Amino acid sequence: MEKIVIKNLSYSYSAGNKAVDDLSLQVEQGSFVSIVGHNGSGKSTLAKLIVGLLRANSGEIIVDGVQLEDKSLNDIRKKIAIVFQNPDNQFIGSTVEDDIAFGLENRQIPSEEMPEIIKKYATYVKMEDYLKKEPTYLSGGQKQRVAIAGALALKPEILILDEATAMIDAKGKREIFLTIKHMRKDNPDLTIISITHEVEEALLSDRVIVMEKGKAVCSGSPLEVFANKEIREKYKLQAPFLISLKEELKDAGFDVDNLNDIKEVVNYLCR
Amino acid sequence: MSELTFGRYSPFNTVVHRIDPRSKIFFMILLFVAIFLQFTLWSTNLIISGLMLVLLIVVMMISRISFRSLLKSILSMWFLLLFLLVIYVLIPNQTYIYPAFNIGSLTIYYDAFYQWGYIMLRLIMILCTTMILTSTTKPMDLTNGLEWGMGFLKPIHFPAHEIAMTISIALRFIPTILDETNRIMKAQSSRGVDFTHGIVKRVRAIVSLIIPLFVSAIERSEELANAMEARGYDPRAKRTHFHVMHFKLVDLISFLFVIAVFGGVLTLFIIDKNVQVVNIIETLFKVNPGF
Repeated sequence: MEKIVIKNLSYSYSAGNKAVDDLSLQVEQGSFVSIVGHNGSGKSTLAKLIVGLLRANSGEIIVDGVQLEDKSLNDIRKKIAIVFQNPDNQFIGSTVEDDIAFGLENRQIPSEEMPEIIKKYATYVKMEDYLKKEPTYLSGGQKQRVAIAGALALKPEILILDEATAMIDAKGKREIFLTIKHMRKDNPDLTIISITHEVEEALLSDRVIVMEKGKAVCSGSPLEVFANKEIREKYKLQAPFLISLKEELKDAGFDVDNLNDIKEVVNYLCR
Repeated sequence: MSELTFGRYSPFNTVVHRIDPRSKIFFMILLFVAIFLQFTLWSTNLIISGLMLVLLIVVMMISRISFRSLLKSILSMWFLLLFLLVIYVLIPNQTYIYPAFNIGSLTIYYDAFYQWGYIMLRLIMILCTTMILTSTTKPMDLTNGLEWGMGFLKPIHFPAHEIAMTISIALRFIPTILDETNRIMKAQSSRGVDFTHGIVKRVRAIVSLIIPLFVSAIERSEELANAMEARGYDPRAKRTHFHVMHFKLVDLISFLFVIAVFGGVLTLFIIDKNVQVVNIIETLFKVNPGF
């Protein structure tokens, strides 16, 4: 089932300069889609359009069969949660628990139910020991996990990660990857759209969409997209470690074409 | 931020910490009124203020507030204090009656020192009261308390919630912006901007700090607004609250205590103004000091 259908969507910040240009795409329910592309390709604009923070100039966005417009905005927003890039600028509460509570307060969840929900999702992202901590005492990765907890606590059907790992260190990134894996296993119906520069993260997804100048120029499974040298060079994408490793091995005369993750490569080499 | 920053919340669990923020705000207002009631006689003023100061210091000790930060904030006002002293001593005042000594043709009065001392005493009491409130109440609770306190103005469309949210976000971002300031300062210093020498140079250097700081703060606010909106925030919509405030036994007890202090001072004040001048020293020691 298609969760999100985008038809001929266009948006420009200033006249004549289209950030999103006649874009059409579909996202299946329960799938994990990565949108990659270099700076200024319109990825983040697309995310803002989907949650209704920006109003499209033309085209339509259909979520669960309902078209996004003023009337339906609130209902659609209830289905979508978004995690932004900067861990500091989306931390609204004065402590971890206050921040997770912020969205719940907006949804008018009764006060008595909040502590339990907060505890549950804080545990989910492994931040349960930090509930009373202020953001100053947290690392970027921890703040970002709190943001994910705050998003998940709203029980969204769609989670958008708008470069959620771009500003945090390697350890923080790994923690976020693990959280994403965990979420997918736990809740197969959750649709995840990840906007990212991080090719390793994109490798986790079911489908990769490459954006360039506001258009979706290419789409396919991560291995298909990243193994294609032509696409990589044309859109300046970095090859994930697995792909570069396979290419190097292939050049050295090994037959690694049908190996799909690092473990298989290791097993093959150790045989 | 240094540990000694004035009025910074200190996370202890004392009796004072457990009092409801709304009660504490109310108590602060009552104490402010009590501090500003002025009696006819010097001695009465000083004794009552002194007693109240002792009381405040006891409450500060109960709530485990560091006196060093109080002392530091008093000392940081040295210029104001000195300035007030000069004003009180040198500006002639017809109501002064007790000459102390002469400098040339200028007579210095004891009254001036008394006036200055009394102002200082009240200033310190206000500092203490504010400090007790802010050191024992989380900023978030404080804003929630304020929002509740301003609630009665809502029927005339007074934006109580908006103000409370603005304050709490401002408080939340103080450390973040301070970090940013430090980072920009270092970045500009590394480009040769001098933040340490000479007033003119420093003023110029400030410009190179302020502009990037403002730009980043404005960008930050836009991202924050997006994040809030995406999480379903609507200032006009009804919201529930994570922190539910309850009046407890400790509120009742502290209420009785503060009312007793306030009532006592107010009663004395009314007697002083309408019935008969209150002269504590004469009442206690049967001596009339005459001032």
